[in-house]
Amino acid sequence: MPLPRSDIPLTLAVTASHRHVSDADVGRGLIAGQSWAIAETWHRFAPMVLTTAERALGSRAEAQDVAQEVFCRLYRKARTLREPESLRSFVFSFAIRVLKSELRSRKTRGWLSFHRPEALLDVGSDTLDVESRDLLRRFYARLDRLSPEDRLVFALRHLESMTVEEIGAALELSTSTVKRRLAHGTARISRMLESEVGLAGRLPTRGGGTT
Amino acid sequence: MTRVDDRELEVSPALGAVTDLIQEQVQPPTAAELNEGLRALFHRIEETEGQGQRDLRDRGGSRWSWRRAFVVACGATIVAAAVAVLVVKTVGTSSLSTRASELAYSVEGGSVVAGGYLRQVGRGGVKLSFNEGSQLALMPGARGRLLSVNAGGARMAVEQGTASFRITPSAHHLWLVDVGPFLVTVKGTVFTVSWDAGSERFELRLRRGRVAVSGPISGGDLELRAGQRVVVNLPRAETLITEDAGEDGATDSPTANDVGDAATPAEGPVAVAKTPQKTRQETRQEKSVVPSALPAASTPALSAGRVRRRGAAAGAGPTSASSSGRPTSAADSARRWDQAMAGGDWDRILDDVERDGVTATLAGASDEELLALANAARYRRRMDLAREALSAERRRFPSSRRALDATYLLGRVEEATTGGRARAVRWYDDYLSRAPSGTYASEALGRKMTLMNELNGASRARPLAEEYLRRFPGGSYAGSAQALMRAP
Repeated sequence: MPLPRSDIPLTLAVTASHRHVSDADVGRGLIAGQSWAIAETWHRFAPMVLTTAERALGSRAEAQDVAQEVFCRLYRKARTLREPESLRSFVFSFAIRVLKSELRSRKTRGWLSFHRPEALLDVGSDTLDVESRDLLRRFYARLDRLSPEDRLVFALRHLESMTVEEIGAALELSTSTVKRRLAHGTARISRMLESEVGLAGRLPTRGGGTT
Repeated sequence: MTRVDDRELEVSPALGAVTDLIQEQVQPPTAAELNEGLRALFHRIEETEGQGQRDLRDRGGSRWSWRRAFVVACGATIVAAAVAVLVVKTVGTSSLSTRASELAYSVEGGSVVAGGYLRQVGRGGVKLSFNEGSQLALMPGARGRLLSVNAGGARMAVEQGTASFRITPSAHHLWLVDVGPFLVTVKGTVFTVSWDAGSERFELRLRRGRVAVSGPISGGDLELRAGQRVVVNLPRAETLITEDAGEDGATDSPTANDVGDAATPAEGPVAVAKTPQKTRQETRQEKSVVPSALPAASTPALSAGRVRRRGAAAGAGPTSASSSGRPTSAADSARRWDQAMAGGDWDRILDDVERDGVTATLAGASDEELLALANAARYRRRMDLAREALSAERRRFPSSRRALDATYLLGRVEEATTGGRARAVRWYDDYLSRAPSGTYASEALGRKMTLMNELNGASRARPLAEEYLRRFPGGSYAGSAQALMRAP
């Protein structure tokens, strides 16, 4: 049976040899402005940036925008990478900065318009049932009430399972500040969630109440 | 690093459940999403750089006096008039098009009509010349489309017949060629590609540079180096890779002479490494030495002998280097195999295995090495060895992602084995049950559908076609699935 021409998903050339080079070599390629290094950096770190952004923002579409911004800035600022072997940390620091900036501008947009950011939620929308989706929408609406810094600390701790000191290093905050913000954000969100009628009984709870 | 104790942080059960749900729901991007994102990134970088240059010019312009601006405007008018005259003179035999500021092209021997189709006027084919030096030629009778031309590069589709390309290397332009169900990705190279929709035969002859080929047969990107020719026969699930003379005889401009060479049919499920000095007739004789029905297990010695001859003829290079001694460590071995795979030097991997022994290699190789070995064996049509490597992958690394890949690839191996289609279906079933949305889910379902049609007829394959269209409406086998749905 003949196979009519079909629309193959676009595949970009990242040669197999580049896929096995070290982060340091990719970093050096990036500093030199080589296009393979841009592609390789994307393939290695975009999944990390995309998932972190999607969990923090509650929107896959916005996460994609954030990722584009992160890697575009990365390309422009590649020459500031002093330790090529720390490429992963370099990328992550860009992601955090862009996320913080996005959360701030979102907050500003929320003040200046009637736009409600939670309406943009599209996490797991293909597979979740209506109730769970509604629950997540309300959760992210609660997150929107936190300050960008508190929200980021909250997301990195509870959604990315980062330790307090890792969060402190990523956000350039002292551990005590991180702990203070984390306690504040966690308490507020927990209270809000518990106050939702029937919420606690709607989800399977995980064992233990501490992390 | 000292871990700060943050255990005092109380997390309510509801919060824990919600965060668990989010972590479960947010999945890493698929390969297609990543590729699409990278394409968007390249476009954005191009645009940003272009905008930066324009801003620079604008800032410079603000310091100009109005008199200077007037002089420049007059000059620009004169230049524009001159360009218009040139364009008018060009129309008739060719047309000039600028789709993006950085990339423009002219057409000879035809024109670009609605939908990007290249319409031939005469019998000499259509030739496109781009302003940065790249050229492509559709051979007489071939049918193709120009899908996009922009700052990031160009994308073209060859729907039938043969086309030749000479692409100027550039870090800023990405060239993509859809050839039937295959996608050829290229940065700078000279190659000829052909697709026959009737016989579902794909052929690519690479004379210079490197290209990556992805499609329904390769089980991932297949990277080719200069001088290699790949022929894929989809109905027979055969991939034939041969060595050509590479740049020898390559001309700067694509010509119709390429068509004759490119039309050599695949003759059986064997891969032949042809020395640069050999003629095509000698290659055919060499192929005839290896009967297609010969059990794969009996071919290694013959293959190895051929490799040694090739190394001697070449005098140097990776093949001769590989026989110089054992790798000093597993890491060295892995790196060497990576390089061999990247360079398409599969014989080097098979040589190493032959030297070290199959059993020892299968017992000691890493999961990455086993997959490399399996691919090398597949490309060289040593299906028994490929099957053993893939089975070892599953047995030794049962929870790894590569073990899943191996499950799918075992299906491909069985498909290429006489009487193995039913076994292939079982492997695809196994893969789909373990990884319903895995990397090869679309391919596994598509192949299963095709095999079911061949084995049991359209009525049994139709439910699979329906499922395929529902799950992968833009997938490689969507056309086949639609045809199956229409079949009586």
